[in-house]
Order: sequence, then structure tokens, then C-alpha cells
Amino acid sequence: MDFGIQNQTDEQQQANKESSNQNVNEGNKKQTGFCAFLTVEFYTPYFNVTETDVIQRIQGTFLPLKPDFLNLIRGNPDLWGPIWINATLIFMITAIANLRQIDEEKENQSFVISYVPQATALLYIIAFGTPLVLAAVMKFLGVDLSFFQTICLYGYSMSTLLPITILCYFQNELFLWLIIVYGFANSSLFLIINLKEELDKLQIQKKYIIIGIVVTMQLSLYLFYKLVFFSYVTE
Amino acid sequence: MDYTNQKQPQNYSQMEDLKTLDLEESVSETIMRDLRMIAYKLKYVLIPKEQEDNGKELRNWDLWGPLIFCLALAMTLSFKADSTTSSSKSDVFAIIFVLIWVGAFVVTLNAQLLGGKVSFFQSVCLLGYCVFPINIEAIIIAFVGSYLPFVVKLIPVIICFAWSAYSSVGFMASLVPPHKKKLAVYPVFLFYLFLSWFSLIV
Repeated sequence: MDFGIQNQTDEQQQANKESSNQNVNEGNKKQTGFCAFLTVEFYTPYFNVTETDVIQRIQGTFLPLKPDFLNLIRGNPDLWGPIWINATLIFMITAIANLRQIDEEKENQSFVISYVPQATALLYIIAFGTPLVLAAVMKFLGVDLSFFQTICLYGYSMSTLLPITILCYFQNELFLWLIIVYGFANSSLFLIINLKEELDKLQIQKKYIIIGIVVTMQLSLYLFYKLVFFSYVTE
Repeated sequence: MDYTNQKQPQNYSQMEDLKTLDLEESVSETIMRDLRMIAYKLKYVLIPKEQEDNGKELRNWDLWGPLIFCLALAMTLSFKADSTTSSSKSDVFAIIFVLIWVGAFVVTLNAQLLGGKVSFFQSVCLLGYCVFPINIEAIIIAFVGSYLPFVVKLIPVIICFAWSAYSSVGFMASLVPPHKKKLAVYPVFLFYLFLSWFSLIV
């Protein structure tokens, strides 16, 4: 790299060394290029949280009326939460659905395990697909929210489903519908109030498009949840 | 095979002769050698006292062990599938198989994304070997499970789950920076919990 440059002064050589060091460091930090999103290093900055951060963020989702969440994650959206909250939910759906089916009197108990692929598809498509669509729509309409922040927001909104899944163990149909409605209201409010700050900058019609998308997806998630996973009630 | 009483190869054609000796050994010898290697690694991974060199043995990763345990678990659980679940045997087999490999892949990827610098296959190898206690509990429950109430079945499940989790947590926690340890360990815990639950249910 230094072919033919033999007459540099000491200062120039020092400056060259420093700038080449900096280039190497910057190359380690960011991957650029067309297929960068396929490398592991591209996603590493989004896992920069500790366990207390994660717990704090999950707690933030249970109090939807305080719009602190977006400020919490603005500088540091993380992907750990969305991925593993959904994985936990898949396990809990299977476990709780099986526990509901336990019937001490039956000789050969038959448990359902087909919820695993169904739940995986449902939760991950909604947790990652909806933010994809929403972020694209929002960028198109001029809202300044990055793609990863939307994924983070949506992923953490799924944590409302954690206590709801546990409560779905009980067999009372009315109780189940009540908590499903509560969950739907809680997570929709959480999403809308956190997006409100960004949405206020838009015109009324555009705002309602986004709110409409959000509410529709939450509604379909909760309805699917109730009707497919927890509709089986033993008499 | 003992090569010590053979002459050192003087040229290329003699080296070729030596290589064909491996092919000439009987199949049973090759298989026994591989099985012994798997058994050695298993003892190393699951019994902490064997680890005198702080985990350096894990660098010789192999995927035969994990494959054997994965197949054994999937076959054990699908064996009784028709009578205990409403899905067919092939559904159960497929779910378990995919769960183990995709689960190991995702847990390892998670550790790498959190900043851990570990070879990918080394970690998958370790997670696969630690599935062995889950295998044991699946076999126990498959044979005696129908005679025991649910609560009694929980005891071997919990013991084996704790054994698996404890064996792999030490390794996984050492990979990532200290403030992210729990974030790397929780997915391992969830992975073995999932597998234990299946061995309990099916």
C-alpha cells in the first residue's frame, strides 16, 4: 500500500497511519454493501441491551397510557425482545393448551401438539411482517421512524400476551373473552399512543390509515388466538 | 490401527498406501471408533468433573452425536404418538427434529449476536450432546408413563431438564460479555424446557 512513497515527512507518515487505523476500525463496525443484511455483524448493534433493560421495556408495555416506551428505545432498538418473547409465547401456548386438556379420568390422554407450527407461523408473521408493512407505509407517508424501532415496538407489544396466555388456563368462556378483549385494548393502545407522537405530524387521513392497519392486525391476532388455540373447553 | 511398526513413507506412493489402510479396516472397527469418540465427548460434556482442561476438548466438535440423540428422541416420542396425541407419528417426528436443529441454530445465533465469539458448530455440538438427558427421560416416560399420575412423571422430567440446562449453561454463559449473560442463557433454558415438555406430554 505504500509503494513508491518514500519521501514522506514524519508528520505525513503519522497521519497516514492514523487514518488507515480509523478505516480499519470503521470497517469493523459497519458492514456495507448490498447483501449486508445477510451477515451476522449487521444485526449485532441491535442486541446491545442488558437484562434490566429488557425487563424495563416489558414493564413499559403494561402501562400503555404513559408514552415512555418510544423514548426508551429510540436510541437503542433491540431485536432480542421481539424474538424471544415470541418464542416464549409459543412454548406457553403449547403448555397451557395441553394443561387444559388434562383429564384425570380418561385412560389414554390425547394431547395436541400441532399448535407449535401454527403458533410459530402466526406469531412471527405478525411480529415481524406487520412492522415491515407498517414501516414501509410510514416511510411512504413521511413518518420518521426507523424500521428496527417499529419491529422493537411490535415485538414488545406481544408481551401483553404473556399473562393472558397463562390466564387462559381457566375454563370459563366468559372470562377468556374478557381477558382477550383486555389484551387487545391494551396492546392496541400501547402501539397507538407510542406512535401518536410521530403520527401527529401527519394529516388526519394518513394518520387513520396507519391506525387502521395497526388495529386490524391486533384484532386478527387476538381473534385467532382465542378461536384456534383456546376454544377447546372440557365439560 | 497401529502404524508405529510400519516404515515411514519415503515417497508419495508409499503415503498413498498408508491412506488406503484406513479404508481396509473393517466397518465394525470404524463404527466402534466413532461410537467411542461420541461416548467420550458425552461423558466430557455431561459430567463436569471430567472437564480438567476448561472446555478445550469442545473444540473438536462433531455433529454425529447430536444427530444420534436427535433421531433417538424423535423416534422415542413418535413411537407412542398415535395413542397419545391427535397428530400422526410423522408430525411428531418432524416437529421434534425441526425443533432440535432450528432451536440449536437460533440459540447459537443469539449468542453470536450478543457478542459472543464462538464457532457456530462448536455450540450446536454442545447443545446437541446436552439433549442426551432429555433422551433418558423420554425413554423412562415412554415405558412407565402410562402407569404413573401426572405429578409423579414430573420428577424425572425436572431432574433431567436441570441436568441438561446445567451442563450447557456453563459453556454458553462464558461466551458473552458479563452484562448480557442472562440474555444468552435464557434461550438455552427455553430450548430444553420445550423439549422436556414434549417428552412429558407425548
